Amino acid sequence: MDQKDLLFKQIFDTNSKKIFHLCYGYTGDTDSANDLLQETFLKVWQNLDKFRNKSLISTWIYRIAVNTCLTYLRAEKRQAKDELTDNIIENRVEEFSEKNEQVALLYKSISKLEENDRLIITMVLDELPYNEIADISGISEGNLRVKIHRIKQKLTELYNQHARI
Amino acid sequence: MQEFEHIQSLWQSHSVEVKISSDEMLAQAKKEVGAIRNRSLLNIAGMVISLIAISSLLLFFDFNSWTTPLGLGIIILLIAVYTFLLYKEHRLIARNDFTEHPGAFLNKLKVYQLSRYNLYNKLYWFYAATVSVGFILCFYEMLQNMDTWVQVAIVSFTIFWITFCATILRRGYMTREKERIDLLIEKFERISSQFQEQETTLL
Repeated sequence: MDQKDLLFKQIFDTNSKKIFHLCYGYTGDTDSANDLLQETFLKVWQNLDKFRNKSLISTWIYRIAVNTCLTYLRAEKRQAKDELTDNIIENRVEEFSEKNEQVALLYKSISKLEENDRLIITMVLDELPYNEIADISGISEGNLRVKIHRIKQKLTELYNQHARI
Repeated sequence: MQEFEHIQSLWQSHSVEVKISSDEMLAQAKKEVGAIRNRSLLNIAGMVISLIAISSLLLFFDFNSWTTPLGLGIIILLIAVYTFLLYKEHRLIARNDFTEHPGAFLNKLKVYQLSRYNLYNKLYWFYAATVSVGFILCFYEMLQNMDTWVQVAIVSFTIFWITFCATILRRGYMTREKERIDLLIEKFERISSQFQEQETTLL
């Protein structure tokens, strides 16, 4: 196995869970999230030689994943994943628990946000440092703080709205 | 009323399961990148092997009638031309690195698809007709000393095989090939627009 293969495997093992979580946040279903995860890492493999350590490799992969998710949503002309998120709730009756219900509501609430807000909040939820989020999203750190505050409020509001229904 | 901290802890406590291992992912990445090129190369290799096999007949056997070398010559020339066309098609996709020039690669892939369609559509009928003429000329001498039933069997099988290739096999191959390249184009279009967006919005 050559150096590139080893590096790729290391990168995949370190980052795949976070990226999958991100994709899951976007799509709301496991199969689409898996497809997007694979497309992201396919891209990583194809471009690994061109990565020049100008940013953290995790930031670089996040950026690819975010673009993959956004492009996927736009290309498929998918609206917020109401149906799929509803499916999560319906199809997992056997796994029903208060926590599962809360998780489903969380994904449903995230899906109601605008695409870019969704991208930012998933990174906030994953506790990425602000400078990394700013780097990935292309927003200055000052503006980002304001934006994040607003998205947090909106998400909390949406979540509480859904929880009351 | 829930606070954002609760939402965050919920997100972080939700464990996700990645269904694919790094080994599988690596294998898939390599396979996807090389699959179309490998198929094209295999196609060319098959034609080259046929070319060598039929040419060896001309080299190692003596024929009494002029029709046999002429028939074999026609078939050899046809295979050589077709191999060259396949090689030209292969160069369309082999000389472009998708990761460096996604737009150019995508255009070449579309040209490749169109060229592939022509090769297995109009040109295929020319191919089938010429091969048939070649076989008729070869059979003139080759079947001369055989029993009638053997002659009938060989001729029937040849007609059946050429018809089968020109109809069912060709149509099936064309459909599969179109679906495969359409999927690739769709995927690469998605990835290409991602590159453009990455350059304009996020970098």
